[in-house]
Amino acid sequence: MAPTDKRTPNLPAAWSLNRRRFIQGAAGVAALSALPSSFTFAQSAAKEAPDLAKLVAEGKLPPLAQRLPESPDVVQVKQVGRYGGALRRGLRGSADHNGILKVIGPQNLVRWNVEFTGVVPNLAHKWEVSADATQFTFYLRKGLKWSDGKPFTADDIVFSIEDCAKNADLYKATPSQIVIGGKPVVCEKVDETTVKFTFAAPYALFLENLATPLGQHTTLFAKHYCSQFHPKYNPKVDEQAKAAGQSDWPAYFRSKCGDIEIPSRWGNPDRPTMDPWIIKEPYTGGATRVVAVRNPFFWQVDQQGNQLPYIDQVTYSISQDVESLMLDVVGGKIDYQDRHINTLSNKPTLSQNTKRGDYRLVELIAANAQQVQIHLNILHKDPKMRAMFGNKEFRKALSLGIDRKEIIELVYLGQSVPYQTSPRPGHPWYHEKLANQFTEFDPAQANAILDKLGYKKAGNFRTHPDGSKVFFAIDVIPTLYPDQVDVLELVKRYWADIGIEIKVNTIERALYYTRGDNNDHDAASWSGSGGLDLMFDPRDYFAYHPQGSRYAIPWALWFTSGGKSGEEPPESQKKRFALYDQARGTTDLQKRAEYVKQMLDLTYEAFETVGICLGVNTFGVCRNNLQNVPDKMPDSWSYPNPSPTLPAQYFFKA
Amino acid sequence: MARFIVTRLLWMIPSLLVISFLAFVLIQLPPGDFVTTYIATLASSNEVVDQAAAAALRERFGLDQPMLVQYLKWVWNIVTAGDFGMSFEWQQPVQGLIWERMALTLILTFSTLIVTWGIALPIGVFSAVKKYSIGDYIATFFSFVGLAVPSFLLALVLMYVAVVEFGQEVGGLFSEEYVQAPWSWGRVVDLMHHLWIPVIILAVSGTASLIRVMRANMLDELSKPYVTTARAKGLSEFRLLLKYPVRVALNPFISTLAWLLPNLISGSIIVAIVLNLPTAGPLLLQSLMAQDMYLAGAFVLLICALTLIGSLLSDILLALADPRIRLE
Repeated sequence: MAPTDKRTPNLPAAWSLNRRRFIQGAAGVAALSALPSSFTFAQSAAKEAPDLAKLVAEGKLPPLAQRLPESPDVVQVKQVGRYGGALRRGLRGSADHNGILKVIGPQNLVRWNVEFTGVVPNLAHKWEVSADATQFTFYLRKGLKWSDGKPFTADDIVFSIEDCAKNADLYKATPSQIVIGGKPVVCEKVDETTVKFTFAAPYALFLENLATPLGQHTTLFAKHYCSQFHPKYNPKVDEQAKAAGQSDWPAYFRSKCGDIEIPSRWGNPDRPTMDPWIIKEPYTGGATRVVAVRNPFFWQVDQQGNQLPYIDQVTYSISQDVESLMLDVVGGKIDYQDRHINTLSNKPTLSQNTKRGDYRLVELIAANAQQVQIHLNILHKDPKMRAMFGNKEFRKALSLGIDRKEIIELVYLGQSVPYQTSPRPGHPWYHEKLANQFTEFDPAQANAILDKLGYKKAGNFRTHPDGSKVFFAIDVIPTLYPDQVDVLELVKRYWADIGIEIKVNTIERALYYTRGDNNDHDAASWSGSGGLDLMFDPRDYFAYHPQGSRYAIPWALWFTSGGKSGEEPPESQKKRFALYDQARGTTDLQKRAEYVKQMLDLTYEAFETVGICLGVNTFGVCRNNLQNVPDKMPDSWSYPNPSPTLPAQYFFKA
Repeated sequence: MARFIVTRLLWMIPSLLVISFLAFVLIQLPPGDFVTTYIATLASSNEVVDQAAAAALRERFGLDQPMLVQYLKWVWNIVTAGDFGMSFEWQQPVQGLIWERMALTLILTFSTLIVTWGIALPIGVFSAVKKYSIGDYIATFFSFVGLAVPSFLLALVLMYVAVVEFGQEVGGLFSEEYVQAPWSWGRVVDLMHHLWIPVIILAVSGTASLIRVMRANMLDELSKPYVTTARAKGLSEFRLLLKYPVRVALNPFISTLAWLLPNLISGSIIVAIVLNLPTAGPLLLQSLMAQDMYLAGAFVLLICALTLIGSLLSDILLALADPRIRLE
């Protein structure tokens, strides 16, 4: 069955990509050279925020023409905005640093286009890729400046990669985004504004990786500032680290220059960045507020030459409790927010109060393939359980025994469709057979299969062939996925009807992971990734992720350790890994689609995880006076929404 | 007396060591460690952390060593250098994180204590003296309501009403402009403006139970012969009450002083979370959830130290307040 609108209620038309568009886009690595910025920018006409103009007049800041690069990044904004205002958002008390990253960072050589179908120029205005996808040459905009006014050049990038990311003291293992074939990238300066990256093997996904938050090592560290915490440039750094109360120089370096994903990235107001706003009141332990103010050297302008960002500052209030964050939203004290509040159970409250809080809801398109996915532990330590879960027929019987339509009606208010994990409908890689297999509700057939397999009924429930009772627990984290607990309670009822008894094991997050790491779990539920971003997160299509592919963690360990630990996977898994590797290594998008299709065929045949329904779209709230915010955007970590929609061009209506 | 105090102070040292060890073990008891939690967070944003990287992290945080070694290092640094270690999560020395929070917690705790006693003691005395009067019934009624309503619920309701009905903000202990400001007279005044809300919320339930305790104690005392004697000798009713029955009835309050400190800190965690107060409770809870053990350990240790100091204080106060108690 072809995907139709009826099957895909959540998918806006713009998201039903056709194959051609996808090939131009999603895998858009083929763009051997992006469009050079032909727009010659009239710097004399440039305009800037009044507070900056005042500083210029007082002689405390160089004039705009000297602050902007020769060819700034010209953003075609929907409405030309006005300067001023503070964007108010909420953070949770602990480890919510990515709430900052997703608005202010990540600024890299390239970024995602708004549609999440390909990369566009960012700090680099063009690039070249060698035919075999091993060499990438980036041309930086001339005259880019860090937030402290010092020039941003190829030296900074070489420092970030060669001296920092590849430093064994700082990173025990070089970040995987810049390693291919076991060898880290080599980064060279060609001239002041040109850098060349050379990989040991084809790395067709490098550009896309640069657009994700984790690809940010290239532009994270300003050489003129961070080199003072580096032993190569400052031999006395160890003493200074000790004097600052840090154990060694890497700890000192991190506390000053941060890393992609740690709170201290937002804890040092002195650290130069390329972000639209720079931290003024830092995110430190116990902080109750975080404030970031306009970067006077920001390098984007609108089509009329006004320097971005329009909004003066971003203010984060820190709530310990989601309920108080909800109160802030309802009370109109938050201008844009999706994190923490976008659960289905909050939607009615937030919809009811749109008038009171003077906000509207923005749709977030799920990048997830699966809302609830049950991972039966195929490599269970108990041989009896392993035989049971390892049998495809058994898994098929369980899948047929679930009334997905009722679950969708009761838990998801009808907003989803029965689904196995597959790329989302409308995606060019959508795999119809994979998406729909065994999703019909057929308890009679399920019973027949179980009878045939020798799991005989004794009373209401079945027994193993050796006479012991069939019983297992499904681990689920209630604080993370409250909806999954409801779903599993329903599944428990359906499975009881076919004689399978389970326990819904609600546990805390660390325990959930520990049980997974030790392969102690019977089964576990999680959402399913790879709906829009399969190339970045294929963990549900084969055992790729040593913490995430919970149906076969030892196989994933075998892959990541190069066969040194874990358990050797079967042929089908190995083939899928090889196909994924080939897909990742090719710039030919036709070929890449072909590899992925073969991989999905194998996933279809193996049928390892039991999916329930298609990932449900969520929402964000946006104050009515905040303009230039798209009505819809993808919701994904790889596409760190709302950053690619450029919050720098949001503005407040007068 | 001086000798008693010195002996008690000396005993605190081994007590604290034992407590610190127990606290450390307890914090370590849940499965996993900080790195597990950290990897869990990364994994949910689909980042792959291989075992080598995880091991490197554990090594960096010293988590690969046996627990006893970790504990001894921690205690050694505290004793020799006053260094409570690093917070894993924030990559900041623990000291920097706890002092202001502890200070605000103590301010909140003592304000609550004063308000609670200030309300509970007079009402308790009143309702004992005027037993079964209208006033007694009213006080009793409200104290039962106060006991029955959980304080976090009270806080939520208060916040909801304030935001939805009055468009007012009630969370936090400071206004915007003073949140990160250094201490100044303006900041103190600002704190006072905000402090009364959590203090009232926290005082409500405490007051209720204290009224009952005070009333019961007073009733015991009022019927004793010495009261009758004093009255017969013509002592004014007010002086009579304060001079003996009240003083004796205070005994249980003073002796529970030691528990009040930790109680008010741990009992206020949920309220502090709901009201978004920058006190120790929320940070302690957070650090426990992230298994940020040095931060959590420092808090637990400080709260235990406060308990020990509190019990010493209550012993001294008891000796002063109750003529029947002797130290010898």
